[in-house]
Amino acid sequence: MESQTLSPEKLRKKVVSRGIRNIKRGTVDDDSKRGMFRPEIRLDLQRSRLMTESFKQTDGQPMVLRRARALANVLNKMGIFIREYERVVGYQTADPNGIYHPIDQNWKSPRRLANSEAGKSLLDAAGRKELDELCEYWKGKSMSDRHQAALPESLKPYWTYEGTFLWSQLSELGIPNYEKLFKVGLNGLIAEARQRIAEIGTTIPVDYVEQRNFLEAVIISLEAVIAFAGRYAALAQKTAAAETNAGRKRILEEIALTCGRVPAHPPQTFVEAIQFFYFIHLVRYLEYSTLGIGVRLDHLFGPYYENDLKAGRITREETLGILQLLWIKLNELGLVYSPTVSSVYGGVASLQAVTIGGTDENGKDVTNDLTYLTLEAAKSLKLIEPSIVLRIHEGTPEPVYAKAVEVIKTGIGYPSLFNDEALLPLYARWGVPADEARNYAVTGCVYIEIPGKNMMRRSCGYFVLPKCLWWALHQGVDPRTQAQHGARTPDPAGFRGWEDVLAAYAQQVTFFTTKIEQLERINLELYTEFCPRPFYSAVMDGCIETGKEARKWVYPSMVHHFLQVIGGTNVADAITAIRKVVFEDQRVTLPELIAIMDRNWEGREEIRQACLNAPKFGNDDDYADAIAAEVQARGEAAMEAVKDRYGYSHRGDGSAVSATYGLAQDTPATPDGRVDGEPFCDSTLAPAPGKDKKGPTAVLKSVSKISTVQTFNHLLNQKFLPRFLEEDLKPAFMGYLKTWKEMNIPHIQFNIVDRQTLIAAKAQPEKYSDLIVRVAGFSAYFVDLSAGLQDHIIARTEQNLT
Amino acid sequence: MAPAIANGGDSGLVFNIQRFSVHDGPGIRTTVFLKGCPLRCLWCSNPESQDSHPVLMVRDINCKGCRACLPACPRGAIAFGAAGRTIDRSNCDNCLQCVAACLYDSLQRCGSRLTVQAVVAEVLQDRLFYKNSGGGVTLSGGEPLMQSRFAAAVMAACKQEGLHTALETSGQAPWEEMERVLAWADVILFDIKQLDAALHQRTTGVGNATILSNLRRAATVRPVWLRVPLIAGFNDAADHIRSVALLGKEIGAQKISLLPYHEGGRSKQNSLGRPYDFQEGKAPDEERLKLLKGLIEETGLPASIGS
Repeated sequence: MESQTLSPEKLRKKVVSRGIRNIKRGTVDDDSKRGMFRPEIRLDLQRSRLMTESFKQTDGQPMVLRRARALANVLNKMGIFIREYERVVGYQTADPNGIYHPIDQNWKSPRRLANSEAGKSLLDAAGRKELDELCEYWKGKSMSDRHQAALPESLKPYWTYEGTFLWSQLSELGIPNYEKLFKVGLNGLIAEARQRIAEIGTTIPVDYVEQRNFLEAVIISLEAVIAFAGRYAALAQKTAAAETNAGRKRILEEIALTCGRVPAHPPQTFVEAIQFFYFIHLVRYLEYSTLGIGVRLDHLFGPYYENDLKAGRITREETLGILQLLWIKLNELGLVYSPTVSSVYGGVASLQAVTIGGTDENGKDVTNDLTYLTLEAAKSLKLIEPSIVLRIHEGTPEPVYAKAVEVIKTGIGYPSLFNDEALLPLYARWGVPADEARNYAVTGCVYIEIPGKNMMRRSCGYFVLPKCLWWALHQGVDPRTQAQHGARTPDPAGFRGWEDVLAAYAQQVTFFTTKIEQLERINLELYTEFCPRPFYSAVMDGCIETGKEARKWVYPSMVHHFLQVIGGTNVADAITAIRKVVFEDQRVTLPELIAIMDRNWEGREEIRQACLNAPKFGNDDDYADAIAAEVQARGEAAMEAVKDRYGYSHRGDGSAVSATYGLAQDTPATPDGRVDGEPFCDSTLAPAPGKDKKGPTAVLKSVSKISTVQTFNHLLNQKFLPRFLEEDLKPAFMGYLKTWKEMNIPHIQFNIVDRQTLIAAKAQPEKYSDLIVRVAGFSAYFVDLSAGLQDHIIARTEQNLT
Repeated sequence: MAPAIANGGDSGLVFNIQRFSVHDGPGIRTTVFLKGCPLRCLWCSNPESQDSHPVLMVRDINCKGCRACLPACPRGAIAFGAAGRTIDRSNCDNCLQCVAACLYDSLQRCGSRLTVQAVVAEVLQDRLFYKNSGGGVTLSGGEPLMQSRFAAAVMAACKQEGLHTALETSGQAPWEEMERVLAWADVILFDIKQLDAALHQRTTGVGNATILSNLRRAATVRPVWLRVPLIAGFNDAADHIRSVALLGKEIGAQKISLLPYHEGGRSKQNSLGRPYDFQEGKAPDEERLKLLKGLIEETGLPASIGS
């Protein structure tokens, strides 16, 4: 088969970025005059239309069957097309510029958006009218409506975002067991479901009806997916018949064959394996709005590639071409979020990451030629998604480091490096068996999961830790309203030392985590009843076998709920400043400091300076670093004290996206010298911007003092000048990376760009439309970020050379 | 063999300890900058290093006009007017009491007396980075040989810790001073500014006879990397660079680094309250740098630009 004909440059032009732009910052408008999406993006209503159509017909049936039939209706009737250069097919919308919105979860925010200045380009008048009609059906039935209706009055103030946390409706993750799927095909799963139905037909378990409904829903969903692929096979066949170009005709014939085989049957070739994966990935997005990928690309697809290579069915160059085509496909996924969510997802499309490197279940390095090809594909296309996660371990070959540095040097912000030796002990504490832990993958940001395991892992939202400290300094009372919103912690006037501040802070963290859990508990109960996921359940281990939908049970040894925490360093620096300025130097009393802070330091600049000049995390200074280690560990313990509906602890997670900017808006001044609304440190391990005065080695030293195993999977962002990765300095950079690994720091990622370029791009966006920066756990087009977020990124310390 | 550390060896005047230096020798290094320099190069990029005593550096950009420094000056050298703060440098004796009074880091001390132990403790912080990158410690300045006993003691202690050590020097010192430090250096980064003695005298304040003689002797006992600060129209003539390369070849230098002039010294002179006398300073353009690098490489010596 000849290789694809489009160059990477031409291929890139086919991508329409679905990255969302921040238009809100917490509770205030940020840049709402410009669109939330690039102007060419359209809201595609077909999923909403077909789902609604099906739901109207299935009223009264068990919900799991209704959801399966709705998915089947979408897959059977949605418009499909094959673009003239494609070899891997499948679209989530009827239009190449489309995005969809999960109306079954929330109809209010897309309607509000489509009728606002920021979203008016998403729909025309007819579209807006149709959306109104569709919304009419979902009133009282969307998950968001059901949740709000179910909340007791006492919880409502915590459901509404006021600056402490942004509870999130979406974000249920999970990685299908592709290894198994590739062995048995969807036909194999259907056979398993049928067998289970036969089995319970003789044993009649107490939940016979429930199991049977679920298993039938599984069969309906899987058969619909196979039929969906069949529609592509037929379309390809038809197009091939009319195609005059012999090369293109052969490709179309290949597509017809591929889609006729997969995902019904196990894939036999590399291209079949890729197409199989993509159908599953796509349908996962269509069934239920989700994020991430989590595939171990080299480990999963390497054997197919190597077989094809041996058999002479494929060349290395052609394989690179197929990966590039897959990259384009992944960039086509995206959905509409609410405007408030734009304050945390600035520049995000779907937060998809592919994982490469690391070890197999037995600890053997998995590097193969596809590892390098994956990095090469990323380098040649330079797109914001998928981000690449490179797992580093003791046996990572030297050339993998070298290739990774080559890609990092382009400035696209990935691969980000994950340190197996730091993370495996954390998974052990979470109760994951060692062999399963070694198979971990990252779905997006630093979301970690074990492929195939039904973890129902969910991000409950964004948790603003500095606001918890602020509550601790106000006994949980909002000074503006006098309402007791946080926990009633002791009066700061009685605090004898920084340890008392820390204790009150930890109490507030537990208090708010409890509120989050209560919201979440009601939400999950509703999701279990009203939003089952038969397709997703089928591709995870254990659901068909037990006849149980994924939400009815969980993988028994993992974290299920996590909170995306932000501002941990600000809390640490604030408590350090209190120790120094209040308890040691006795410049002011704690109540005086709080009063000064509450006036946003007005008239007391000298006290703010004293707080700013107190030791700061990130300078390899034990005074500040020891407090930071304690604050991080105590904060985590305070979250873990709260258990979810399955009996497992809530935990922190470093996937802060752009919340460090967006949600800082609603936290007043803090004792670290921060002024009202000023952005927080840009990741869970980052020093305060501009406060790391001793360079990147000191930053790593400080960071290494935070225990991963006692805390969680962190994120660390570092910024270097492009020059630092030039040939003659490469050995130094490699030395830096190896030291990072040896210090057991769980994660690192890089922005390789100079300040001048960013400043120029801010001034002349039209000239820099392709400039990519790493924001948090994802890369984004710099020009899509709001001016404030751009400034925040420019302000991050550039690790300079001397 | 431990060196004789007598008077002046226990502590020294340091004006900066720069971790993560990647241009002052191999790998990731910590560079310790010592105060005091016998040269007064027109293009000096570290003018704060020149005096052998602590000096006041002023960063007006940080000044909020709070006047906390005003009463702190025992000589009344500070004044506030319509244009902000002025400091009468002719009346300043660098007592630095104003630095302690400043709330906003706009008055800074340059130069602190540190013990060998304190310096080595800081250097050892990044030991893992040295190990993984083939780096170590570099002594620079100023001219570190002006505090040769202290420099030797720091080097020796680092050596005893198993670190790779580099000395960066102008070469302007009595041979005995140089020898004392060389004993502990794994490599010497030797600056060659100008081979013409008269021109050297005119632009650095000293001739180059001692420097060249020290270079030849040093090269017989330790590996040498030559470093040439390149200033357009001053020392970037092809013939001059070729002569430097031939000299390097002759003494067995391992490589030659070309360090293009930059204006880093300008703002520092300003903050020291001194005029910047080198308005004509300019770096050779990219093309010329490449050409000069090529000239060196023709002699068979490796060359690099910037480090």
